[in-house]
Amino acid sequence: MLQFIIQGRGGQGAQLAGKLMADMFFQEGKDVLVYATYGGARRGTPVSSSLRVDDKPIRMRCDIEHPDIIVCFDPSLLEGGTLLKGATAQTIVLINSSLPAEEFAHLGDFKVVTIDAKTIAKKHQLGRIVNTTLVGAALGLIDYANVDLMEKVVGETSPVKVQNNVAACMEGYQVASEGSC
Amino acid sequence: MKADSNRLLLSGNHAVSHAVKLVNPNVMPVYPITPQTPILELITEFHAAGEMTGEIMTMESEHSAMAAAITASLTGVRVFTATASQGLLLMHEMLHYAAGARAPIVMFNVNRTLGSPWGFWPDQTDSLAQRDTGWIQYYCENGQESHDTTLQAFRVAEQVLLPAMVIHEAFYVSHSMEAVELATQDQVDAYLPDFNPPHRLDPQIGESWGNTVSQVMFQNHRRDMGDAMERVLQVAKKADQEMKELVGRGYGIHEQYRCDGAEFIIATMGSMTGTVRDAVDELRADGLPVGLFKIKLFRPFPIADVREILAGIPKVMVLDRNFAPGTGGILYQELKAALYGLEDAPEIHGYLAGVGGTNITPAAIKEMVQSAMGEKPSAHSVWKG
Repeated sequence: MLQFIIQGRGGQGAQLAGKLMADMFFQEGKDVLVYATYGGARRGTPVSSSLRVDDKPIRMRCDIEHPDIIVCFDPSLLEGGTLLKGATAQTIVLINSSLPAEEFAHLGDFKVVTIDAKTIAKKHQLGRIVNTTLVGAALGLIDYANVDLMEKVVGETSPVKVQNNVAACMEGYQVASEGSC
Repeated sequence: MKADSNRLLLSGNHAVSHAVKLVNPNVMPVYPITPQTPILELITEFHAAGEMTGEIMTMESEHSAMAAAITASLTGVRVFTATASQGLLLMHEMLHYAAGARAPIVMFNVNRTLGSPWGFWPDQTDSLAQRDTGWIQYYCENGQESHDTTLQAFRVAEQVLLPAMVIHEAFYVSHSMEAVELATQDQVDAYLPDFNPPHRLDPQIGESWGNTVSQVMFQNHRRDMGDAMERVLQVAKKADQEMKELVGRGYGIHEQYRCDGAEFIIATMGSMTGTVRDAVDELRADGLPVGLFKIKLFRPFPIADVREILAGIPKVMVLDRNFAPGTGGILYQELKAALYGLEDAPEIHGYLAGVGGTNITPAAIKEMVQSAMGEKPSAHSVWKG
């Protein structure tokens, strides 16, 4: 089973990021279970999306204890929060930051990868909307093979700026899969 | 989503909306509340697109929504509504009335913590607190089961003339997206007969409902309700069996999972069931004779079946994601009462696990099993999680 926790702040699109990825794996024929938790629908408060992917039906209905991948939309979520609670030495923590990964080494014993999603999103005229870039990066980190499907799902799901979102996702994917995060 | 197939990636709530679309009820009084709102939102979208033709009534409160549902149902038409938590509690007075009026309304409830303090978390206390209102109650484990059970509920409710509540939990089911295989329109048309109740409010017929009655008439009416509730056990089993024959999916009114040769059974309801399945598989792999007993139909409580299934089992551990201060876990109370006086009755450990939506993992359940195996049970619910 592959387990992701994707956390952002209300309004950043973390919930949609989880759904996008779930849809890709679902369309590939995998079993998926994705849900979001939030403490009331308020902008600015932490919103987490939990995604499980497996080759057999997923029955357990509980929080992900030890995620394989953590996607962090905003480094401010790392301080004092519970996002990294279940991270192990095998966990990859993908952080949206212009800083190098070493800057986050003090957080714990796990693999930290950073990507400057804000700059990539701006380059593609997406303003502060970084979720499609981070979806691409997260999938790049696990060498997700179905790039055509990724483009298709992001394109179909984006409410506006379809080509920009697809391009940002692709750039995030390439940066991550080439190991240049 | 795959447009060319009936297998869609859906939230548990939207799986319910799709079932209601297939039933196409005549009247749907609605009032929004988190985490139920997506059910009614999608229904209104279907309606706006012309895919549903019933009347949607936007009400000023849940109490009014249920009052409208009763009145509409008494005219002899199909009625659906949905609610959660505080909304269900505001309906409480009308829930008794609906059952007394023998109005076979189908309502979906999404379990959510009750204030105060405020929360949005999965906890079954809201619907379990309605257990004496005369409504049939089904607890579902996932979106697929909620979709299918909503269809069954119309059939059962209309056959016995009692209202039915179908229930799943906040977030873990309501907002979890997973693959759901939808029933087809042809299947639902074949499954649900036309609804033609023997009595209805109709100026052409000239019947009424709600007169004052004598003590004996009142008592007889309650006994009739009790008899109807008793009939649900068989009617619900048959409705499930026939759905299985028609669409290939069935659940029973309860389920025994890996109970062959079990000497320790975990009893629970709702989303916890799925987590227990994983724990049971791991315990079995460790060589421990542990099984799961899932209660799906909670009202009427299947007392005779429970006694038969649990007789001779040394230990039962009940997991309650609900809490009644002063008595403890509600499924625990019900099971103890059902087993009273039974020869070879099991020892029962009642654990409060997941109250307020706290996280219960398969590993936590395994630990509870291992500690319960070496202990005498307390006479009271014990806090876990």
